[in-house]
Amino acid sequence: MPQLIIDRREIEVPAGTKVIEAAARLGIIIPRFCYHPALGSVGACRVCAVKFLEGPVKGVEMSCMTAAQDGMVVSTTHPEAMEFRRYVIEWLMLHHPHDCPVCDEGGHCLLQDETVSGGHGLRRYLGLKRTYRDQYLGAFVQHEMNRCIHCWRCRRFYQDFAGYRDYGVMQIGNRTYFGRFADGPLESPFAGNLIDLCPTGVLTDKPARFKGRRWDLERAPSLCLHCSLGCNITGSARYREMIRVEGRLNEAVNGYFICDRGRFGFAYANHPERARTPRLDGQEVTWEEACRTAAHRLTRISREYGPGAIAVWGSTRSSLATLGVLQRLCREQGWLGPQFFNSPSRERKVKAAISRLDAGVAVSLADLEKADFLLVAGADPVNEAPMLALGLRQAWRRGATVVVLDPRPVHLPLEFEHLPVPPGGIDLCLDLLVRAAVSHSATEGLLPEAAAAFFNNLSCEYPGDQPLQDRLVSLGMKLKESKNPVIVCGLDIVRESTVVLAADHSRLLRAAKDRAGLFYLLPGPNAFGAGLLSLAGEPSSPSYADMLAAAEQGRIKALVMMETDPFRTFAGQPQFLAALDRLEFLLVLDYLPTPLTDRVQFFLPTTTVFEEEPSGWVNQEGRCQQAAPIYVGGRPISQEGAGSHPPRVFLAGIPGGEPQPGGQTLAALGVALKGTGAPLYLEELDTWLAELNPVFAPLLESKVTHPGVRLLPEARGDYAFSHPNKATLRDVPDDHLELLLVDWTFGTEELSGYAPPTQEVEQPPRLTMQSRDALRLGLGPGDRVSLALGGESITLDLEIVENMASGMMVLPRHRQLAGQKFPEGPILVPLQNIHKV
Amino acid sequence: MNNQPELVLLKNRRPDRPATIEEYRAGGGYAALAATLGKRSPQEVCQLVLDSGLRGRGGAGFPAGRKWAGVKEDAEFPRYLIPNTDEMEPGTFKDRVLVNADPHLVIEGIILSAYAVSAGKGIFFIRPSYEMDAELIERELEVARDAGFLGGNILGSGFSFDLEVHRSAGRYICGEASAQVNAIMGKRAHPNKEVHMAHQGLWGKPTIVNNVETLSCVPGILRQGPEWFKGLARTESGAGTKLYCVSGRVCKPDVFEMPIGTRLSEILDLAGGMCPGAEFKAVLPGGASTEFMPKKFYDVEMDFEPLKAVGHRLGTGAIIVFDKNTCLVGATLNLIEYFARESCGFCTPCREGLPYIRDLLWRIEIGEGKEEYIPLLREMARHMDRSYCAFAPGAAAPVLGLLNYFEEEIREHLSQKKCPYKGLGIEFRDSLIPMEKTESTAPENS
Repeated sequence: MPQLIIDRREIEVPAGTKVIEAAARLGIIIPRFCYHPALGSVGACRVCAVKFLEGPVKGVEMSCMTAAQDGMVVSTTHPEAMEFRRYVIEWLMLHHPHDCPVCDEGGHCLLQDETVSGGHGLRRYLGLKRTYRDQYLGAFVQHEMNRCIHCWRCRRFYQDFAGYRDYGVMQIGNRTYFGRFADGPLESPFAGNLIDLCPTGVLTDKPARFKGRRWDLERAPSLCLHCSLGCNITGSARYREMIRVEGRLNEAVNGYFICDRGRFGFAYANHPERARTPRLDGQEVTWEEACRTAAHRLTRISREYGPGAIAVWGSTRSSLATLGVLQRLCREQGWLGPQFFNSPSRERKVKAAISRLDAGVAVSLADLEKADFLLVAGADPVNEAPMLALGLRQAWRRGATVVVLDPRPVHLPLEFEHLPVPPGGIDLCLDLLVRAAVSHSATEGLLPEAAAAFFNNLSCEYPGDQPLQDRLVSLGMKLKESKNPVIVCGLDIVRESTVVLAADHSRLLRAAKDRAGLFYLLPGPNAFGAGLLSLAGEPSSPSYADMLAAAEQGRIKALVMMETDPFRTFAGQPQFLAALDRLEFLLVLDYLPTPLTDRVQFFLPTTTVFEEEPSGWVNQEGRCQQAAPIYVGGRPISQEGAGSHPPRVFLAGIPGGEPQPGGQTLAALGVALKGTGAPLYLEELDTWLAELNPVFAPLLESKVTHPGVRLLPEARGDYAFSHPNKATLRDVPDDHLELLLVDWTFGTEELSGYAPPTQEVEQPPRLTMQSRDALRLGLGPGDRVSLALGGESITLDLEIVENMASGMMVLPRHRQLAGQKFPEGPILVPLQNIHKV
Repeated sequence: MNNQPELVLLKNRRPDRPATIEEYRAGGGYAALAATLGKRSPQEVCQLVLDSGLRGRGGAGFPAGRKWAGVKEDAEFPRYLIPNTDEMEPGTFKDRVLVNADPHLVIEGIILSAYAVSAGKGIFFIRPSYEMDAELIERELEVARDAGFLGGNILGSGFSFDLEVHRSAGRYICGEASAQVNAIMGKRAHPNKEVHMAHQGLWGKPTIVNNVETLSCVPGILRQGPEWFKGLARTESGAGTKLYCVSGRVCKPDVFEMPIGTRLSEILDLAGGMCPGAEFKAVLPGGASTEFMPKKFYDVEMDFEPLKAVGHRLGTGAIIVFDKNTCLVGATLNLIEYFARESCGFCTPCREGLPYIRDLLWRIEIGEGKEEYIPLLREMARHMDRSYCAFAPGAAAPVLGLLNYFEEEIREHLSQKKCPYKGLGIEFRDSLIPMEKTESTAPENS
């Protein structure tokens, strides 16, 4: 551990730490442009020059390029260093357009800060300024190349860190140009990070353009809800409108970066059609009246038909408080539910996954980057949880092997081994691969009894595909060499047995090599929280479909829908609408303008994650994190004034400010139902949760602070290996194709589906199949096909690819396909139901 | 001695064509190869070259033996040797002459050097404007291959090596070893100071990049021994002969092979002295990235150490001669113009500072200079030392030379508000692009 002195203060840092970082630990922020902790040092800008007075290095040197060594005495404020830095800034400013008044970066611009603090004031250079032509880079990133100071951060992130090639650098000398070969949207779903990284206004947030200076914005640390990873963000609002989202550092989760879905999907909070007032029988009412009436009607139904006639639906996009109070209300009142998952198999998979995670085996996204072998079973990271793809890439850059077992045409920004096997084949592949990796431990008797028994039950052949089997065995030999493997398992398209097997195999690897991780992807930002509640809620709540059938039969008379959109599951079905019509009471609470919010007689508006109250969310690793409120809520002023100045009237409240946090509303409803003896639902929530499921106990011990609290049981030695009925390979008949409903980066996720910027980049839905299947059906590239499903048919463009499993079709759960009812999977489609139009 | 110095590198040079393999072999060519491969260990070869005192001829003057010793015995394979014939230093044309005079000397030197570091593959990196030379080398490589000097198991020694010609896309910075390696890998030709070429060079493998003149000294060293090589020099610290390129206002500009350490005055005499009517004013001793040397250095010994002792650099040994009627502000402007254009654009001082210096020189040259430009120029030129690689300090060298020895000449520009040499000598200014036309554009869109 080298010890050095920086500005007369001593510090000891780990070997290899650069002086710029060592100084940062002392709170001394040396000027920098090219240096970024995630991108490393390159020594391009030369603005971090400091003076080395004593020690192995002498003179003015770059603090980002010099590793701290024993005996160094560094001055960051030495006149020689300051003088050089002043020149560097002068050089950087030679061609800068000085257009700060119209530049969106103004106010939080590193170049502004360093120029002012570096003491460069007047431009001495008399030559003309260099000018560049700007490019169109798509809906997200605005390009203004004249402002460029050539720090190389954008290229280093885009190509080196993220692995995409369509943005880069051209030309040399002071004509060096950062951009694309030709105008066009950036291909990377991580391109938005360029906005955060650019130290000046070359790459700025296009949707947020001209909407406010940094000091005008209400800003707070928040969380991304657009998948289950729980990336940390900073949200900004102005005039009651969410303006922009930036990545926020969490070294245990997302690092510095976020994906574009997370960055630009926030605008659902500003949706003009969002219902913002409590509504009763079509009339706007006060909260008191709404709660009183709701309680009254629910009490009446409960009395007349029994509490089991009231059913409750929730979802995985609600805060932990909302989910918890909902569960408690159901318990207290004896209502049916809550059911948080829109399909029983999804619920079973989530429960299977989280009940098998413990503190020993669960790895964070940051841990995953340190793995040396990543076995991805049934996940398509770029589409399902984009930041996982970036994590996999970092592991790969450090030398990890990445193997993907997935039927879909998976693309990752790295070199990886894709084995496109059908969902029914993933179990076999896992068995074969891990078997090859641990068989020597097994034969030498090094495995504990339970693990050995599990090992003995592993499949040892992949029927009918010897080359694949050989490939798996050779990959298994690589896995054998690995010291820190991680199994990544998606829940979306896999069979239920795969979720269990992924956990079992990670335990088997752990038994053989002491270290192995498990990383699931879950459906929804709070699926883990919902799953923990569901696990404690035995017997399980009936499924959405069962409740709906019961409503149709008249057994259920009232339905409470908490922040859930059944149209995504039972879209436009006559049966669904008929069932709703038979209900005596339907209460909908939501912050999204779902198709239901307009139809129902009784509606209570809730707040988004950005408004009013802090909220807790549990990511797929079991990490509970808190999102702070960014603004108080209310209808955006831009909507209030219909494009003009808002009306000059005096009001007691905030226009459109009625929505309340879901948990608070439910608590008020509970009080209205129980009267004076009602418990303190919100205040006691953590205690109640911990009693319900001891895994919640850490919430009692400490406040949920950065970087979050893991809600996981301790690792125990006696893991019970299961012997699931493994999926069989040939579970799809030859004259059928299995239809896989999948997620896309843009177009399928619920919240971002309401945000104009992400709507702008989504592609229309298309059907994808393997070339052999297309040939079998006589279909060619560019054909439009009609797909008949359950009496209805949809027409789509066909995409033919090589890199997917045959016997499959892939279709996004696209919001443009809303209105289409899909049966509970696996969906088998007879060949005659697919034809060219 | 003065009249007939021993020729080592150019002894087979003829006026009309390159020497053939037969001519080269007739003079003892490829004898060193036969006597070395499989008969001496690579370590012995390294040691002999180290003992010979051979220093790199590409500009930096780093001892070749020490560079090779950077590739440790247990280093990874494959290893690469990159003979550097990028030669884009203005005023330098020795490698072209060498390759054209005796291609097989170059090839033998490469093979022997590859043997010393156990490199299996060589990449002959050549400047695109040397297309004819690239073709010549490619042709002669075939000849050497047919003769069994290249390919698998050379001369039955068990050593295999082959050489391939890579044409540069043509940028000055490609001459820098790490930038050259990046260029070969298809990356942007940026210098990389964070990895050591001998450990992680081309494709992450041990790589040695040497100037071809350096490599061409190796057969002689192995054939006649390090002491002989040292004895060739005229200075105590020097070793071998040197190819001096003389250009500028001399009667007979050419490449002259002379013992290293030959005095500048003698080399200029060989070049026929100054042109009729021209009077000596200054030289750049080692290409465009060295400082001007005025008359007082006229007798300096042209070797690394003697020049270093007087604050100058031998560089590539490319002597550019300026006469009394040549405006050195204009000449410096011309050079800076080149460097500003050739900067790779990676680091700030080079990318932005050089055009700034160019702008100031241009204003002085056209008579719009101001007194304060002189300290500004001096400070900025000194700050070039703090750029990422050696490019910018090199580019600043003629500026510093101008300021150190010819400040008076700058002042004449200031006081007369014009170039005092206009109409007298070479007008570098006329070749300049007006400042207004240097704007950059984005790539055009389809």
